[in-house]
Formats: sequence, structure tokens, C-alpha cells
Amino acid sequence: MSYEISVGRRISRREFLGVAAAGAGVALLGACGGGGGGGDQGGAESYRLTLIVGITGDEFYTTMECGAQAAAQELGAELTVQGPEEFSPAEQTPILNAAIQANPDAILIAPTDRTAMVAPIQSAVNQDIPIVLVDTTIEREDLALAQISSDNILGGRQAGEALAKQIGEEGKVMVISVTPGISTTDQRKQGFEEAIEKYPNIEYLGTEYCNDDPVEAASITTSTLRSNPDLKGIFGANVFSGQGAGTGVRQTGKKDEVSVVAFDASPTQVEDLRRGNVDVLIAQHPNDIGDRGVRIAVDYLKSDKEPASKQITTGFTTVTRENLDKPEVQEYLYKAQC
Amino acid sequence: MNGNGAVLQARGINKSFGAVQALKDVDFEVRPGEVVALIGDNGAGKSTLINVITGVLAPDSGEIIFEGERVEFISPHDARERGIETVYQDLAVAPQLDAVANIFLGRERRMSGIMGRLGFLDQSRMRKETDDQLAELQVRIPDLTKPLSTFSGGQRQGVAVARAVMWASKVVIMDEPTAALGVAQVGMVLDLVRRVRQTGIPVLFISHNMPQVFDVADRIVVLRLGEVVAELDPKKTSTDDAVAAMTGSLRGEERV
Amino acid sequence: MADTGTQQTEARARIPNLAGSAFIFLILAALVIAFSLLEGTAFLSGENFFNIAVDASELLLLAVGVTFVIITAGIDLSVGSILVLSSVIAAQTMVALSGTQEQVQNFTYPNQAVGIPVGIAAGLLVGVVCGFINGLLVTKLRLTPFIATLGTLGIFLGTAQILSGGTNVPYVPPAIQTEIGSRQLLGILPVPIAIGLVVVIVAILALHRTQFGRYTYAIGSNAEAARRVGIDVDRHLLKVYTLSGFLSGLAGIIDVARFSTASVGAHTLDNLAAISAAVIGGTSLFGGIGSIVGSVVGTFIPAVLRNGFVIHGVQPFWQEVAIGIVLILAVVIDQRRRSAEERM
Repeated sequence: MSYEISVGRRISRREFLGVAAAGAGVALLGACGGGGGGGDQGGAESYRLTLIVGITGDEFYTTMECGAQAAAQELGAELTVQGPEEFSPAEQTPILNAAIQANPDAILIAPTDRTAMVAPIQSAVNQDIPIVLVDTTIEREDLALAQISSDNILGGRQAGEALAKQIGEEGKVMVISVTPGISTTDQRKQGFEEAIEKYPNIEYLGTEYCNDDPVEAASITTSTLRSNPDLKGIFGANVFSGQGAGTGVRQTGKKDEVSVVAFDASPTQVEDLRRGNVDVLIAQHPNDIGDRGVRIAVDYLKSDKEPASKQITTGFTTVTRENLDKPEVQEYLYKAQC
Repeated sequence: MNGNGAVLQARGINKSFGAVQALKDVDFEVRPGEVVALIGDNGAGKSTLINVITGVLAPDSGEIIFEGERVEFISPHDARERGIETVYQDLAVAPQLDAVANIFLGRERRMSGIMGRLGFLDQSRMRKETDDQLAELQVRIPDLTKPLSTFSGGQRQGVAVARAVMWASKVVIMDEPTAALGVAQVGMVLDLVRRVRQTGIPVLFISHNMPQVFDVADRIVVLRLGEVVAELDPKKTSTDDAVAAMTGSLRGEERV
Repeated sequence: MADTGTQQTEARARIPNLAGSAFIFLILAALVIAFSLLEGTAFLSGENFFNIAVDASELLLLAVGVTFVIITAGIDLSVGSILVLSSVIAAQTMVALSGTQEQVQNFTYPNQAVGIPVGIAAGLLVGVVCGFINGLLVTKLRLTPFIATLGTLGIFLGTAQILSGGTNVPYVPPAIQTEIGSRQLLGILPVPIAIGLVVVIVAILALHRTQFGRYTYAIGSNAEAARRVGIDVDRHLLKVYTLSGFLSGLAGIIDVARFSTASVGAHTLDNLAAISAAVIGGTSLFGGIGSIVGSVVGTFIPAVLRNGFVIHGVQPFWQEVAIGIVLILAVVIDQRRRSAEERM
């Protein structure tokens, strides 16, 4: 049986069913896969929040999501989480644009570029959607309700101190970071450099960038160790940088000679810590960042009053093999799922 | 240079592929208004000879004389430029394109004026020309707008043959033109060959099919192991003689 | 008689390859309808559609360029890298020529009226050169396109990273964003969409109505046949790869215009997305078959899916699964339809 359609050729029954199946499939998938976007609201108190992370699959952001979800549940708000597959504004912008269309009550976002994300965030503000910046920030911070992140300069300093202690306050050190221009990692590098400046016997080789790719970070580590076999310390400024540094050290078999201090405490990094490939982890509190973000948003929505402080910093926990299993430290290790 | 009026002549052609000598001292010509059949067993060198004459391959030695002048064909394009059209055994058609596109391939008609200079094709003109030409040649092609991949092998061969016949101004060469065809289509091709002959343009074709060869050819050239072993007059010889020459039981006697 | 009637033939021939893309278009329409029913005006709004189109504008250019290449039975894996390299050189040129280093770091751009156009020209030139290099590797060195462009993918991207120091280019004069990236013609039509429209229209004409397009199909269908009839296949392939490079360069310019920077770490998967768009749209990886309209639809199917899913609140991982399923479904159904038409 066939159907004549004005496109000028016959569509067979099979094709018609195929198209109908595609449409139905989308509808079904949407209905069960979703957190319930458009449509019903539970009541005036049930605020709808959207969290847009920097990149999916990164345990830092996953932990942030867990903290945010817990807070949302407690406050009776609905939280949807979205994120790009690549840490880039070209991937994040369409997601932000679509999220705006769903007209949430507030958006929490970790911007992927200081400059590039200003325009799309401005567009959200223009539509009366309050923005909370989590982790990273943009050039026009004034656009946002609040900005929550770790005090990355402080964290960098803590890392510098920890590494100096590990290597006995002398020797060559280097930093592996993501890419210049990301506020958070740049500040950590800055703090680290400030800290080790105080140690006259520590030689700073400089910073290399791995573009958030742990394989790249490992490769940077192994090649630096080849040209500088007396390298004694590495600071990895984020999850993937730290992971890669640990891998690189392990690959060259130098885990007893090279100390690695890594920012962040993903499950892989914690494993690395146990095995001795990494020596100190500076764990941020992404849980707290997510939690505070949600609370600030909901408070604003309820009271219509801006938060007292627009710059909120969260703390760090220094994790070593010695304190790894203590409950107060375990709480701050990053999760791969909530 | 020579006065016997042959349109296309090959003299002393030698061609080897590594240790194998495919053509040995081949002398061969095509005269105006005749249909020449080139026959031989597998591996006799028929396709190689065609490829040399049409510029697909360069001979190791020997010369090609076209309309009395010595020529060198560097590419099949050279042969085409001189009005020699070839239907190769692999057809050389683009299956995803339709019949009109294939027939005009490399010779597209452009629109006039600035559109033409930008490369815009005059598709309706090409379609009309194809329609007219095919009607004149009495060739049936089922649908001019469907890609050739939807045609049977025989229909594709029909398009390839029609293309060569439409454009040839001096010689038409066909390598196994009826290989994939059904009875009716074979008749169509043979009629076409006769019609071309009538216009004065000679046709050279390779075939394995003795009845067809004897039906339409004026002269039969037999190749065996790279050498011309016989030239036969189909009116005076039999298919048995032809086969014998191909396989070697008859030794190079009957030159016409 | 020779034919079934010239008029009917004319009519059918006027829609070359379009019938093939009609089916894929139906799938896109089905998705739009489904999401409109699910989300109402959150999805079905001019603003949302314009957003989708602007967000897809760069990928659209890549998909158009890659369509030409794939129709010749080739492939171009380097499109994302060319985009990045063009954007870096364009951005750096703009910054360098719009003022002294001190002025620029203080966000003043006295010479941007010169700096920006020259930067744009530089970016486009980079695209052309990169495409030309791809063409040379394929025609002169006789490398298979997959290998050639896999190599240049790394070379072009590496060059971009060297030039930019691995960092997104800062201090780009904002005028490029206000005049191009965020600007709307006649107050309605965003410039990136307008550029995309122009490119698509020119591409449709070129592919389906000119000798250039005809040769593209012919070479993809049977390169040897094209050679036998005297078509300079190498020269044509050179043009096709250069065209793809140019469009990637243009996409790079749009990227700078939209984001006011060159994003060096981005666009890593754009090559696969562009190829997927072409394939969803009915372009055959074996060559000889394809259409621009199809590739346009193929670009928008994943874009609409992602947009709809985010609005609806579907988890990101499920989105990728769904997009993969739709891609496979679309191609399977299309291939079935094709082989039903063909005979061996």
C-alpha cells in the first residue's frame, strides 16, 4: 500500500511507519528521560532550576551536581542538569540557549570562556532569568546574581606549600594546567607561584598546558622528565591535569622520586594517591559550590532580595595517604555519580 | 604519406607488459565506410590493441596514422578530439548520473551569456538534443532522468553505445558491445552499426559472438597471441575457418 | 519511441536529487512536531528557531563543504582544524592591526576599521590555503583522502596551538561581534543565518546546475569514466578540497564573530558532526550521490534533537544515545529505499 504525497514520489507504508516511529520514539524518550521540562509545576513553591556544567563526565562537576541536587531536594526545588561534551563555548552556548527557552526560574552555570559566554548569559539576564556563576566566571560578573568558587589563589598557595614540604623545600618543579584564560586554573597557578617564590632553593620550570586532556598531561610529564630527569615536583592544576601527571609519573617509574601535588580529588586521583603516584591532593568542595548555588538562587526567588555577598568562596581539604580514610576527608572526595 | 585512404592505421605496434608481449608487430587499418570485426581468443591482445589505438595506452614501438598523418595519442581525450569515439568493455559510464548526463559527459552544453561563463548548464537543451538524437538512431532508453544504476547492464550498454555513435565524426570503436544484451537489444546495436556505416563512418568492434560478427562485418581481422594471423572476408569464409584461425589451426593465409 | 514524453521528463528532472532528501525532511518535520507538542511555545518560537539556526551556522558551512568532497568519493577530516586555525589567524590579525599592544590591552581599537576586514580576509585565505594543501596531498601525492586529511587535521590544529600558545585569543575588537556575530539584518535576521543562507543557495546552484557540480558527481560516480571523457579529474578535486577549506575558514570567521575569541580547544568533533550531517542527508560515502538540501536537513536533525531534549530536561547522556539512534535509523531507512530502486 502506498500513499501519494505532493513531494512527487510515493512513500511506501514502511517509510511512513518509519517516520511515525521516529516521532513517537522521540516523544517516548522525552517523556521518560526527562526531568519534566515544560508544562506542569508542583505549585508556587516548586522552583525550576537548571545547572549547566562545563563538561559532562568530569567528576568535579558531577560532585557539584550531587551537592546541588541534595540542596534542591531539601528546598523542594526541581533541578535539571545539562552540559556539553567538550569544554567550549561553541558547545555550551546552544545548551544555554535551549535552557533559556524552557524558562527556568534560575540558571546556574560554569562558563567555558570568560569572553565568549558573556553574550549568551546576557541574553538570559535580558529575559529576567537570574544567573549564578559556579566555579568559573565571565568578564561581566555584574550580570550574575552571585559567583561561587573556591578561592583558587588560596588553593594554589596551599598546593605550593604542600609540594614544597614534599620535596624538602628544594629542587625543580613545574605546573601542568588546562589552557590559559580559564579563571580558576590561572588563579591556582598564580597562588602556587606566589607560594614557591618564598623558597630560594626551589627552581620553577614553568607551566605547560594540556587542554583538559589527561593523555596530553601524561605526555607532557613524561617528556619533561626526559629533558629534566632531576625534576622533583609537579602541580596538576585540575582533575585531568592531575590525573595525567600521576599517569606520566607512573609510566616513567619515578613515583618514588617525583612528588605530585594535584588539584581535585577524583576517584582516579584517589587511587593514584593510594598507589603513591600522587602524593597530595588539594580537594575543592564542589559539593558546597553546588549546594550554595542552589540556596542562593532559591533565597533570591523567595525573597526577591539580592544576596548580601556576591562573591562567595568555598574551601579546600588537603588529602594525603595518611588522612585519606578519615570520615571528614572522605566526605570531600569527588564522586563519579551521586 | 600514404595514399590508400585508410582512416586509421596502426603500423608495427609492439606492446609488452613486463615479460609478456601483448602485441607483436601489429599492422592494422580501418577504411572508410566499413565495419571491421576484431576477433581472437582470450588474451589474444584485442583490448590492448584498442587501448593503444585510442590513447589509453602508449605503444612501446610502432606508429599510428590518422587520416594520413602520423599522430601520438597521449590520452583518450586526444583520440576523442579527432572524432574517434570508443565504447570500452567496462562501459566508462557514471552509474549515479542519468543518461543525458552520461551522454554529454565532458561535452556539456552551457547556457549562453554570463550564466554560461559561470558554468551553468543548459539542461533542457541537452535533454532535447539527446531525445532527438536517440530518436534518429532509433535507440530506446527507458527513462532519461533516472540514474544508470537503476538500468540493467544491457540498458547501460545501450547508453554507452548511443553516446559513442552520437559524437563520433571519424571512427566508432566498440569493445564487446553486445556482451550483456538480450536478443532485441542486440538487434538494435547491430542496426545501429549498419546505420553508422551508411553515414560513411567506419566501425571497429571486438566480439566473441561469431554469428553477430558474420552478420554485420565487412572484414574480419583475427588476432592470436598478439599477432595478426588472418584477415577474412565473411562472405567467403565460414565461422569454422574463423575459429580455426583464432585457435591456430589455420596459419595466416587468407589475407583479403 | 525514444521517450515517455519530454514534458514529464523535464518536470522530474527539475528536482534532481530532491526526492531523496524529501524523506529526511519528513523526519525533521516529525521531530519538530513532536517537540512542539511536548513543549509548546518553549520550543515552537521564532526566537528558539533562530537560536538553533545561529548555533548551527558554523556546522552548516562545514557540512556543505564536506558534501562536495564526499560526493567525489573523498572525505575531509580536517574541517574542524581548518576552522580553528582560520579563527586563530583571523583573531590575531585583527588584534595586531587594530591598535598597538598597549591600546588593545586597554580595550581601545583605533584602527579596527582596517584591522577587522584584513583579519577576515586573512582567515578566509587560511581556509583556502589549507583546503588547497589537502587537494595537493590527494591529487599530487595520491594519498587517500582519509589519510591525507587525518594528517592535516593534526598539522593544522597543531599550528593553531603553536600560534596561539594553546590559549583562546584575547582582546579581539568587539566590533566584530556587534557588527557580525550578534547583528541582525533588518532587525530580524541574524547575520550568521544570512551568511548560511547565501552559502546554501550558491551551493545548491553550483552542485545541481553547473558544470562544476556535474563533474563533482561524475568523478565520485566513476573517476575513470570522467578521465576517459577528458575531464581533468585532478584539477577538479583540487578545487573541491579548496572549496571545503574556504567554507571551513568562513566558519572560523563566524566563530570569532560570535564568541569574540578564537577557541583553540573547541571544534574537536566538528569533522564527524559535519560528515554525519551529510550522511544523514543522503550523501553516500561511496560517492556520486548527495545533495545540499539533504545536508542542511542533516545538520538540523541533531541540532533540533539536542535543543528539544535540553528544553525537555533529558539527561545529556541519553541525548547522545538518542542522536546516535536517529542517525542510524535515518541512514538505514534511506539505504533500504535506495537499494529498492537500484538494480545490480
